[in-house]
Amino acid sequence: MSRSIQYTSSPLLASRTPVWRSKLVVGAIALAFLGLAARAAYIQVFANAFFQRQGEVRFARTLELPANRGRILDRNGLILASSVPSPSIWAIPEDVDADKAQLQRLAKILEIPVADLAKKLDDEDKTFVWLKRQVDDSVARQITALNIKGIYQRKEYKRQYPEGESAVHVVGFTNVEDKGQEGVELTFNKELSGRNGSRRVIKDRMGRVVEDVGDQIPPMEGQDLQLSIDSKVQFFAYQKLRDAVLEHKAKAGSVVVLDVLTGEVLALVNYPSYSPSKRTNLSGAQLRNRALTDTFEPGSTMKPFVIALALEKGLVKPDTVIQTAPGRLTIGGSTITDAHPHGPLTVSEIIQKSSNVGTVKMAMQTQPHEMWEMFSQVGFGQKPQVPFPGVVSGRLRAYKTWRPIEQATMSYGYGLSASLFQLARAYSVFARDGELAPVTLLKSTQPAPGLRVMEVRHAHAVLNMLHMATEPGGTAPKAQTMGYSVGGKTGTAHKQEGKGYADKKYRGFFVGVAPIDNPRIVVAVMIDEPSNGKYFGGDVAAPVFSETVQQTLRMMGVQPDMAVRPQIVAAVEESF
Amino acid sequence: MIRLNLVLMLAVVASALYLVGVQFDSRRLTTEFDRARTEARRLATERERLQVEKRAQATPARVERLARDKLQMRQATPAITTYVTYSAAAEEGVK
Repeated sequence: MSRSIQYTSSPLLASRTPVWRSKLVVGAIALAFLGLAARAAYIQVFANAFFQRQGEVRFARTLELPANRGRILDRNGLILASSVPSPSIWAIPEDVDADKAQLQRLAKILEIPVADLAKKLDDEDKTFVWLKRQVDDSVARQITALNIKGIYQRKEYKRQYPEGESAVHVVGFTNVEDKGQEGVELTFNKELSGRNGSRRVIKDRMGRVVEDVGDQIPPMEGQDLQLSIDSKVQFFAYQKLRDAVLEHKAKAGSVVVLDVLTGEVLALVNYPSYSPSKRTNLSGAQLRNRALTDTFEPGSTMKPFVIALALEKGLVKPDTVIQTAPGRLTIGGSTITDAHPHGPLTVSEIIQKSSNVGTVKMAMQTQPHEMWEMFSQVGFGQKPQVPFPGVVSGRLRAYKTWRPIEQATMSYGYGLSASLFQLARAYSVFARDGELAPVTLLKSTQPAPGLRVMEVRHAHAVLNMLHMATEPGGTAPKAQTMGYSVGGKTGTAHKQEGKGYADKKYRGFFVGVAPIDNPRIVVAVMIDEPSNGKYFGGDVAAPVFSETVQQTLRMMGVQPDMAVRPQIVAAVEESF
Repeated sequence: MIRLNLVLMLAVVASALYLVGVQFDSRRLTTEFDRARTEARRLATERERLQVEKRAQATPARVERLARDKLQMRQATPAITTYVTYSAAAEEGVK
């Protein structure tokens, strides 16, 4: 009996259980507890990290905090480019089980043929197809309302360009991934595009965010960019240029408007252009920002610089008389002619009448290196410092390689090349009392210091000659505009074709400043291949200059400096 | 001794329940905050979209066309403009 445990005092109920059995049970239970403890220790201490991670994977999510691309604004803060949400529609073909009517409705909303849609959804091998990228918000909402299984939306952003074709050459555009492809969108892509942030959260079973865990990385929003462009000036210049190009049946044209004091580019337009929202079938002719990327021989618009040089070197005075008869001059076996032969002309009249012979006679008295210096100081042969893709430097050969006839032709703008933008900037010398204005595409408020190229009195003298060119008897009376005095130089250059010059292909230019007494703007106009009878710069480009100056100065709030006969019929009584 | 333990246990239970309550509240508020933030973002992008839309409706091209065709306006020139010079005296007059 002693070998058994006594559960009761009654011998009748005494069990015959052996002692080892109960001990075994106790031991087994103890072992089980030990196992539990070990497991607990394993989970909570040794493999803690693993289990934490596994748990987190099941309820923690990393949310992306999207950054917006910065806006592009004009000088008055008006939007030139901005990103708006524009969802893309995609599908998992296998999962789509839409009936015919639904598919038809979907195709109608997406504005694609039903057959195309069916083909896209037929390919069961694919697990992902775009149905349409970047649709409008309203379209996306309609698709949500259809509620077809297997059709999803991805949040994307689309660039909107309210100004459309008039500003597209400056602003440029982005691709479907919101990366800059052209223009300012490309050059300032880094500043404009932000960096996405992220945020780690715990979501409950309903998908609601219940807790933030860890650090948040806030999104870096893209910077807004304010350009020096004035969208109104830009538009008017574009409108006038387009009208002129169409009227003269020309191939293309450009206009550049610069603010003389700050060196800001107020407008930079080209025609033909394109609409940034419809970019299919674009040609290089439409895409190119000609004013910056195309160079040409500037023709007579170079003459004022030669005259300025002659004045600087003390070779002539504005009223020095030079014989230009009989309108021909032979240098090194080649003959230079004037369009219309003139007799003796003063230096001022040489600019006014645009005499090649007179200009060459002055140029040949200067040294090649002096002429080269003058030309390069005003920016010819040098890349303009504007942040823009494809800016060209033009061509100005080293003076050591010049032959006399080349120096002669260069004085009236053949044998060297420049872009319209360079030409416009070079003329700022006359507008700023002999200082060359720096140029910028970004808004700046204070006057920028310039680079002195010539003496104040010589700049003034040339400015007066430019003014004379727009007066009766000059080459460009059509450059005159109501209320404002203007001055400028015409240019009409034969176009180069292959090795020689094309017979009847021209470029007409006009580069000028206004108002004369206190210049505020430089406007350069180029019309490429006018082929409707007229081709002289004074006929095709000067009117564009005139209208652009009129609108620009009015919008800048510059008071007219010339008397105008008022045409106000009835003065309105002020009653407020 | 037992009484003290009892009090302490009650305190522990009470604080545990309170913790559960606070945790619940915090989660509820986080959810609400998150929803508000999402809404704010949505409104901000909507605002941006509308601004662009407004701008697109007021481009110089459209304004010019409407002014010319619908309102029979013409472009201002210095000939039909009266220029007034700003001066301190004039400002006094307005006041």
